Amino acid sequence: MANPAPGRKGNVVRPSVFRAKHRDEAPKPILVLEEVYKYFRRDVPTLRNVNLTVERGEFVFVTGPSGSGKSTLLQLVYRQHTVDSGRILFSGRDISRLTDTSIPFLRRNLGIVFQDFKVVPHWTVYENVAVSLEILGTTPRLARSRVAEALERVGLAGRGNERTETLSGGEQQRVAIARAIVTEPALLLADEPTGNLDPQLAIDILTLFEEIHEAGTTVLFATHDHSLLATSPHRLVVIDEGRLIEASQGLRAWSARMQGLGGASHAS
Amino acid sequence: MEIWSALARAKRGFRDDLRLHVVAIASLVVAFLCLGTALLSVENLSRIADRWSQTQHMTVYLRDQAKEADVAQLRLVLEGLGEIAKVEHISAARARELFAEQTNMNATDLAQLPGDAFPASLELDLADAVPAARIDKIAERVQRFAGVEEVETYRSFFGQLRSLLEAGRSGAMLLSLLVVVCVLAVIGNTIRLAVANRRREIEVLKLCGATDSFVRGPFVLEGVIQAVTASTLAMLILFVAYVALHGHVESTLTALTGVRTAFLNPLTVLATIAAAAFVGALGSALSLRRYLQV
Repeated sequence: MANPAPGRKGNVVRPSVFRAKHRDEAPKPILVLEEVYKYFRRDVPTLRNVNLTVERGEFVFVTGPSGSGKSTLLQLVYRQHTVDSGRILFSGRDISRLTDTSIPFLRRNLGIVFQDFKVVPHWTVYENVAVSLEILGTTPRLARSRVAEALERVGLAGRGNERTETLSGGEQQRVAIARAIVTEPALLLADEPTGNLDPQLAIDILTLFEEIHEAGTTVLFATHDHSLLATSPHRLVVIDEGRLIEASQGLRAWSARMQGLGGASHAS
Repeated sequence: MEIWSALARAKRGFRDDLRLHVVAIASLVVAFLCLGTALLSVENLSRIADRWSQTQHMTVYLRDQAKEADVAQLRLVLEGLGEIAKVEHISAARARELFAEQTNMNATDLAQLPGDAFPASLELDLADAVPAARIDKIAERVQRFAGVEEVETYRSFFGQLRSLLEAGRSGAMLLSLLVVVCVLAVIGNTIRLAVANRRREIEVLKLCGATDSFVRGPFVLEGVIQAVTASTLAMLILFVAYVALHGHVESTLTALTGVRTAFLNPLTVLATIAAAAFVGALGSALSLRRYLQV
């Protein structure tokens, strides 16, 4: 019997383990957006001509004022919406052309963390984290060890039997992060994950994402909280009125630029 | 693997919405009881109809004072007719015995019946496919013989029974349709309520990469379990009620119809439960459809 393709086990594609065929060949970027447009209202694009490349192992902040299109950009990546024009390549595959039946298989390769946590309150912590593995068909025995490992990484070791609704907001977000990383996704998408948390908890959660990133996971972190951006020296892309501005020099340079353009309020 | 996962999640669904499911099952039991009662009536009406349609029977009641020679002559004539397959003479005493056997009536009660309640008769089995007009003609001719009191062809009785049976069947069909609609509505609404309570769960599953069939699985199972539990309970209740009432009405009904009553055929019971399972699954799947778009 022929060996299965690398990175593929059954129906599950693991782009994180895809490797270049030749040593000299550079690995493909994990995510590429090319001339992406998205309209929710005719004549007013939410995203316009967005071009972005995220390399494997990068930590990228996506920022911009509320309503600028940060969440929409992430939603296009996990295919809650479809692009109206342009294309999005995930591990070299155009996900804007995926059929509805293929979307679950895309999402199995992503970890997604939301502002409102999206945990099931009456489930236990274990059940909330294990659900991702259950979907992949992981055996209960393996699931137990991987959930325990994920809970340890997010600082909730030994709390698997607690009902999630009894946890604090910060702890619930940690449960959501554990659920997102337990499958070892190729790309971790965080949509305002600190939006419902107080400043200290927000920094704790960001630190947790940085630890996950240091372990090799690519992170796309959307936030409008500039105090978080100021604490971390990661690549920064700004979305303003649907346009993406690369601010690779960091938050300070971007703020100065925005002030120069009369957009000080955005960077306050 | 997926079926075990769906079962585990269905179990969790029952645990989380126990009251909702109990109320739904109770409503469905009532619906299936109605259906079961209708099916039971139709089954017994069919038995009566089958009995009478199979016999192709005619009875010639003899006068008490009928002479043996007249009866012998009549018998000879009847046996000579091609339309008559068999002629049997039943004396008054034998008629009383047969009645006692068929109705399980005890000797004391039997003795209280009047002496002329069981006249002697000639029981005629007709050949297949004898036209109704010919039966009437034979009856008319036999009626003229000395010693004949009355000729019973059972045609009018069977005609009435057939009408009753057809009405019963139509009623049962209508009731079945109503029950199907009722089951779809009850299960659909229960699942819709369960889905509303578990919308977050569905959203989480979809965002974690669950396919529609993975999400749908436990809800369909819940619908099937509700319908199967309710239909099985309804059949059990109906059986207990049947056994309880059977002793009281059996002898009267048998005396009236000549047929013993029976509970539903096991195949009918199984088919009802299987149909319930199908309708339960269908109700769940249909009501879940629009909640899967995440």
